[in-house]
Amino acid sequence: MLFLETAATAQVPDIGEELLWAILASPLVAWALIVLYFRKLPKVAGYLAIAGIGVSLVISYIALFSVIDADGHIATYTHEWFSTGSLTVNFGVRVDGLTAVMLVAVTSVSLLVQVYSTGYMAGDPGYGRYFAHMCFFTTSMLGLVLADNLFMLFIFWELVGLSSYLLIGFWFHKPSAAAAAKKAFIVTRIGDLGLLAAILLVWTHGPGTFDIAEIQHWATSGEPEAYIVTLFALGVFAGAAGKSAQFPLHVWLPDAMEGPTPVSALIHAATMVVAGVYLVARFFPVFEASNDASDVVAWVGAITAVIAATIALVQTDFKRVLAYSTVSQLGYMMLALGVGGYVAAIFHLFTNAFFKALLFLGSGSVNHSTNTFDMSKMGGLKKFMPITYWTFMVASLSLAGIFPLAGFWSKDEILLDTWERNKALWATGAAVAFMTAFYMFRALILTFHGQYKGGEPVDHHDEDSHFHGDPKHPHESPWVMTAPLLILAVPAVGAGWFAFFPHQHAFAEFVGAALPDPHEPLGFNIGIAVSSTVLAVAGIASAYAVYAKQWVTSASIRATFAPLAMLFENKYYLDKIYEDLFVKNVFQKGWNRLLQLNDKYVVDGIVNGTGRVTREISSRARVIQTGQLQSYGLGFAAGVVILVVAVFAANPL
Amino acid sequence: MQLTVLVFLPAVAAVIVMLLPRRLEGQAKWVALAGSLAALALSIERFFAFDINASGFQFVERQDWVDFAGFNLQYHLGVDGLSMPLVILTTFLTVASVLVSFSITYRPRAYYACLLILATSVLGVFTALDFLLFFLFWELELFPMFLLIAVWGSGRKEYSATKFVLYTIAGSAFMIVGILLLAFNQDTFDIVKLGEANIQDTLVPVSLVFFLLFVGFAVKLPIVPLHTWLPDAHSDAPTAVSVMLAGVLLKMGGYGIIRISVTILPDVADDYSIWFAGIGAVSVLYGAFITLRQTDVKRLIAYSSVSHMGLVLLGISALGEVGLAGAVYQMLAHGVITGLLFVMVGLMYERTHTREIARLGGLARQMPLITTGLVFAGFASLGLPALAGFIAEITVFLGAFQRYEWAVIMSIFGVVLSAGYVLWMLERVVFGPVKHEWDGVTDQKYWWEHSAVAGLAVLVILLGVYPALMMDMIQPAIDTIMLRVGS
Repeated sequence: MLFLETAATAQVPDIGEELLWAILASPLVAWALIVLYFRKLPKVAGYLAIAGIGVSLVISYIALFSVIDADGHIATYTHEWFSTGSLTVNFGVRVDGLTAVMLVAVTSVSLLVQVYSTGYMAGDPGYGRYFAHMCFFTTSMLGLVLADNLFMLFIFWELVGLSSYLLIGFWFHKPSAAAAAKKAFIVTRIGDLGLLAAILLVWTHGPGTFDIAEIQHWATSGEPEAYIVTLFALGVFAGAAGKSAQFPLHVWLPDAMEGPTPVSALIHAATMVVAGVYLVARFFPVFEASNDASDVVAWVGAITAVIAATIALVQTDFKRVLAYSTVSQLGYMMLALGVGGYVAAIFHLFTNAFFKALLFLGSGSVNHSTNTFDMSKMGGLKKFMPITYWTFMVASLSLAGIFPLAGFWSKDEILLDTWERNKALWATGAAVAFMTAFYMFRALILTFHGQYKGGEPVDHHDEDSHFHGDPKHPHESPWVMTAPLLILAVPAVGAGWFAFFPHQHAFAEFVGAALPDPHEPLGFNIGIAVSSTVLAVAGIASAYAVYAKQWVTSASIRATFAPLAMLFENKYYLDKIYEDLFVKNVFQKGWNRLLQLNDKYVVDGIVNGTGRVTREISSRARVIQTGQLQSYGLGFAAGVVILVVAVFAANPL
Repeated sequence: MQLTVLVFLPAVAAVIVMLLPRRLEGQAKWVALAGSLAALALSIERFFAFDINASGFQFVERQDWVDFAGFNLQYHLGVDGLSMPLVILTTFLTVASVLVSFSITYRPRAYYACLLILATSVLGVFTALDFLLFFLFWELELFPMFLLIAVWGSGRKEYSATKFVLYTIAGSAFMIVGILLLAFNQDTFDIVKLGEANIQDTLVPVSLVFFLLFVGFAVKLPIVPLHTWLPDAHSDAPTAVSVMLAGVLLKMGGYGIIRISVTILPDVADDYSIWFAGIGAVSVLYGAFITLRQTDVKRLIAYSSVSHMGLVLLGISALGEVGLAGAVYQMLAHGVITGLLFVMVGLMYERTHTREIARLGGLARQMPLITTGLVFAGFASLGLPALAGFIAEITVFLGAFQRYEWAVIMSIFGVVLSAGYVLWMLERVVFGPVKHEWDGVTDQKYWWEHSAVAGLAVLVILLGVYPALMMDMIQPAIDTIMLRVGS
């Protein structure tokens, strides 16, 4: 209640409730219009999506500035949705610094991706369906960040999962796409079990409400027993680990690359996959109240970052490098949250959204021209696709953490926070920083430098392919695709300065105000900055030495570290363990089959057996049915005597 | 009078259908549609006439019927917040069932007569307030069901129909003994009076009475291990019958447990509630694991029903207001969702004449509309928020968690398993490469198909986004039960 009262003071962000709901409603209306009327008309669906999301973008900026004006205070508007007995479920929106940052990141990237998609998806038979799904996704994602209570957050959380499923499986005729969509949904749902359990726990043992502010207050009040808070935090983190692809639930994200590339850029790089990071940040006070839970978050994040970075080193598929890079960066953000770096994590989430979206859209541009993601069929694209190349270069440098680009600032904050908390975690983070620079420039060199190797020939028998260019003669993409690349390059360079404007602690104070307790501001340590820059430059230089100059060949490195290379190439064998061992053998052929056999032979066996016994008894009993009244009478009398005796025995007079 | 009219409207329509001359047998569907629509309209009218602020039964009708040896059998009908939503569910699904039967050409008069009598019997069960009347309606349902499966079914239809009847009769045999014991104990068959009485051990312990009644309801629900009739009955029944079976007949079991077992014998229910939780959780998981092994689409949905109905029992187990409301909501949600699933699969079967998952595949291209419906129903079934099943599941979980945390923790794994079997089914049936074997098939195209699908889909969404519509009605009925359980 405390926080609701704060919201009622004069400092509330000056944005009406209607406008906040309009952020959600606008893409939803576009979705409805496309589904109901404009599915079959090409073009229109794309324009509707752009218009719907454009309106959300404008209001999101209004919300951002209103929160800035209100000095980072919180506005909440809540209504009762339904209630039964002691259960009351509300529906409401909340806007604070954290929400505002998310709103701006989501709508900005989403709008650019829609514009890009009008070029990338042109000619696809599912054009209308594509934009309908994209609008639905944007609505769900915005609902997720606007929700003022955990119940509503969970609803949009799951709807985001649905949009992700529909978009990964967009080309559903491809078995790999259909399988990847299913895998993504199921694996994230395993994490959702934790979130669901957390919801049950907090309602039963917690404040008896789902309100985020009240849950934060409850967790930090010192009232609940420590293990309850830890269990709640771990449940929330399990959900976050599913959505944000943390080890050991990260396996779905690389497969999700089966979806159209703009989808990968928007959903599986910039927005949805950071929902888990957002969720942990939302409940950050709860994690602060539980050291055990925080340690789990930090270590899971660190392990995820390392595992994904090592796998990215050996990928041959351009887009998969980016996918593993995404997983690795998400691990980085979780690591930050685990060591108490709330501001650093959100900061990195924000900068990452732009340069990671740019990288994916760049890879889409390359695919649009070469019909492949296989780096062994590319090379030398620099001269054919200069805009794609240079924007990709900027994003790669930013991700690698080169001064003064956006990624440098946010990554440095994370390393600084880990340094102060735990040196082993810092070392892990630093190693990942080196690998990140290496694999990004490996990919960049293989794709854009050297000789062009011809791309993938177009299969004219594939009725579902809408590729209409000549891979033999790659070309720069149309302006609807390159313009978003150029626009995204701006925040990829400059989003890091945003945090220090108008003064050094601006961003920290802004997103920190979303927490009940003020959070310490961003710091700067020259030692950390120099060391991480040296590592990044070393990574780039190594990639240059191996892949551009070939002073050391990659084959010889692989031969030296063969067992490790095998481990990385096979993704640590996790997919095999999950799918072949657990799903196929332990469950389907083992346990599930056992139950099915039990059903067929034991349960039904008893039923059919009873039937047989009854028939048997009745055919024997027929002998008694002599038709002689005397024997019936005898039996009847005997029965009555027994009953009477029984009754009197039970109730003596 | 309105309740009587509502209950017997379908039966009257059935008589008219049977009286149609042979040359007009093609018109039987129109009579059936008119009858079922009239019942739906009347039930909606009653729904809005229902006073959600009042407790107790409404629209009560009472006539002396048989007065014999001190027992006063009555024709006694009435509804409360527990039965009114189930009445609406029944009339709604009856209309949908009639619509999806429009392509039936074999002996249509008898077919529709059976379907309509089935509707009357179920409506009777949900409205009867005299225990013997309740039992009569309960038994009446067997006869049309047997014929519908045995005559208009497919596959091993006689076996499945017989199995269905034998199971239910075996349950009923227990139930009638329980009913008579209760009646002898209290000298009345009046469900309302029994629901207010304080029943003590006499000749037999009340726990035995409870057990006898519970078995009858549990077969119908069904619970593991009394469930094996369900997949057989479903897979061999015609589409409309599967819709009615999953949609409303199973709910008779859940309704019976709440209305009779819990309300009349609350103390015994409390003693045995841990068994409810255990059986519920086992049904959820056991059903879901076996669903994953199914190779026949209809059997798959049937086993998923076992899993979902386990949630009803789990919700009841806590004997708390939230859990009971969740259990009732789960019955409604499962009714419309599984009804829609069976409709979609039925439309697919009508066109491809196979239910074998391995033979289907890639149908999204040839049947975009049916695919959309199936994907929608599938996501509803796996509990996607903003659709009916989610509200029901989470309310059940929250309610049951207050008392049996272990059972809920077990059951929530069903959430992952349901995602597994639904999405895997979709992957194999509608996604993947196009099979040219099915190039000739048509998509959903008749108005009656569109109406049935759209109607059910709208209800699935309505129950998902506007839960207060039903929750506010269910609440007072649950409060009344809670007074019993609490004391």
